[in-house]
Amino acid sequence: MAGMNFSVLLAAGLPLVAPLSAAVKSGHAMAELIAGVSSYQPGKSFPVAVRLTVDPGWHTYWINPGVGGMPVKATWTLPEGWTAGELQQPVPKRFMTGDLPGFGYEGETVFLVDLTPPAGATGEAECKVKLAWLTCDESACVPGDAELSVKLEAGNGKPGKEAAAVEAAKKIPVPPAQDLLFGVEEREGRLILSVLSSEIDLAGVSAFPATPDVIDPAEPLTFEKGKDAWMASGKKSEYLKGPVTQLDIVVSGGKLKQPLLLSWRAEE
Amino acid sequence: MKHNTFLGAVLGAMICSATAYAIEPGDTAPAFTVKNVKGEEVSLADQKGKVVVLEWNNHDCPYVKKHYGSGNLPKLQETYTAKGVVWISINSNAGVNASDLAARSAKEGSKASQVVVDPDGKVGKAYGALTTPHMIVIGKDGKVAYNGAIDSINSTDAADIEKADKHVVAALDALLSGKTVELAKTKPYGCGVKYAK
Repeated sequence: MAGMNFSVLLAAGLPLVAPLSAAVKSGHAMAELIAGVSSYQPGKSFPVAVRLTVDPGWHTYWINPGVGGMPVKATWTLPEGWTAGELQQPVPKRFMTGDLPGFGYEGETVFLVDLTPPAGATGEAECKVKLAWLTCDESACVPGDAELSVKLEAGNGKPGKEAAAVEAAKKIPVPPAQDLLFGVEEREGRLILSVLSSEIDLAGVSAFPATPDVIDPAEPLTFEKGKDAWMASGKKSEYLKGPVTQLDIVVSGGKLKQPLLLSWRAEE
Repeated sequence: MKHNTFLGAVLGAMICSATAYAIEPGDTAPAFTVKNVKGEEVSLADQKGKVVVLEWNNHDCPYVKKHYGSGNLPKLQETYTAKGVVWISINSNAGVNASDLAARSAKEGSKASQVVVDPDGKVGKAYGALTTPHMIVIGKDGKVAYNGAIDSINSTDAADIEKADKHVVAALDALLSGKTVELAKTKPYGCGVKYAK
């Protein structure tokens, strides 16, 4: 009865949206690719969202998976000249799988990716992604993968089914609007993190190390207010060779309107 | 750094967390006696003077499937046992059953010298085994020479095996030719060992 449904849609005057690949179930998660636009504009980046819905009781992993586990991996196949940005990952939660601490997601997670067509792009473009993930629960780990695609015509780039992408964007950590003087120092096997407090209130935030294998994920990171700075400390990871040279952390919740990505690099 | 003045107070307030002791390269390999899947006793002390590989394993884990399904681990076992290495596959999952593991190991093509069971997790915990696979290489001197991942690519995709830096191969080749293992510690990747609670 598909033909009949189609004519009903036409009769109702609903706009035809860009064809999207159906959700794909694999292992213990369902994956879907959602375009934020109804068409693309040559030379102009636009976001697409990857929605991953994990079965109850299972979790998947962040870019820093903790111990065990594997980050979600996206491999794009795009028309000539197109580029895909990084898989932008929302704020994770911290959990234990048996004795192993990890960071990741339960339930529904929406990742964002910016796709950029070349200036001279024309006609229909098929953007394909191969997604690979690992889900674990207390007793097992099961991998999953899916090939998803979206077809878009060149056009005015008007928003399409963007709701999910817009919603996801609020959960993706962004760099702070101004430099926050984020410092990291090593003392006796621990890393001392400080953020100058005159410009930010970190009371009650959740903090997560985004750079793997710098801070041991065994203890949660907690910021407390010192005299002039918010301070947190974490045990140095046993897998970090030599002195600490870089650390990104994600802070969210508390009084922050938007999750933030704070980056520190050692001075040369 | 700019915030030195606050560090003293914060450090003073900090409490060091107690974490499990991990075996570091250079440590003497902890002694153990366990039963293999045939019910015979296997003792590390009996392997004196030999290079020994300990491979933590769970055939239901996708990371282990990557290395057995592709034939990578059976091939490594075959290659290095032929060179006199003793290769011990250990399953430290809670309540692991010896006869089931014997059948499964045969089906997966295991060429390990010994397949042993550690149902109470004693050996796993003595070595700080975190994942399956987790690889420990012990030198002829009885000291841990390598502790960590089988290779450099954390994935369940067998296509990555060829592209990865082969840490265990590098450690074994160095030991067998009397050289120092250059990369002696890495972060193991895999499923968590399902220890008894």
